[in-house]
Amino acid sequence: MAQYSAQLDEVFVALADPTRREVIRRLGRGPLSVSDLGGAFPMTLPSFMKHIRTLESTGLIRTVKSGRVRTCVLNRERLAVVDSWLAEQRRIWEERTDRLESFVTDPKENHP
Amino acid sequence: MNPDLDLTLERIIRAPRAVVWSAWTEPSRFEKWWVPAPTICRVDHLEVRPGGALVTRMSEGDGDDFVPQLDAAFLVVDELERIVFTNAIDSAWRPRNPEPVVMTAEITLADHPDGTDYRVLVRHGDPASRDLHEKLGFFDGWGSVTEQLARLTESESPQ
Repeated sequence: MAQYSAQLDEVFVALADPTRREVIRRLGRGPLSVSDLGGAFPMTLPSFMKHIRTLESTGLIRTVKSGRVRTCVLNRERLAVVDSWLAEQRRIWEERTDRLESFVTDPKENHP
Repeated sequence: MNPDLDLTLERIIRAPRAVVWSAWTEPSRFEKWWVPAPTICRVDHLEVRPGGALVTRMSEGDGDDFVPQLDAAFLVVDELERIVFTNAIDSAWRPRNPEPVVMTAEITLADHPDGTDYRVLVRHGDPASRDLHEKLGFFDGWGSVTEQLARLTESESPQ
């Protein structure tokens, strides 16, 4: 189960990035080639490929190369690893800490 | 720390420790971050001392329909350093087994060159209660990421 927890950490780290979440979201509609996916993001292809590799190494997506086209496919089973009770609690506390952080660093709320 | 039951998180918050502490201990400040917008939080009791009450309500609407959110008690309070509270007993110290989950949360603050080293350790009850929650259909929304993804995807028109 400790291994499960480590897997969960990996998946959450992968999902902590907005670009990678957007990739996951787009792949939710069906497989897409790297170039079709990458065109939607304001970054160079090498930068985008780093995100793809991160997603692939955590098993959230699979990629298949056919000729010159690399196609990405969402691995829904892997995504389900976060679908757990403890993960839900972690999300609640992560988001709560995000809100605390924005609150205490907001100059409007914290007069000197 | 039991990785099957507990969670930890650590954050460097770019604000002085006293500011973070006051966000935890002053009701009018606590209300502003405790629950996600647009839900409104109202603090009934925030008695930050050992045995003190931590009671909050929340409203999903225009602020007329507040429902109980948390009824808990502080166990340990070390000024500017540590807050521990649990919902295993309520604010009247009566043993409880509240929904959605029984927990003891330990918040630790320490000085850091960039502000505050903020750590959270939440200890949860045993997996039996987890199974119960599953049977009760506790999981929804983001709890089921797959489902949320499906809904998000379906709600969007293809580009």
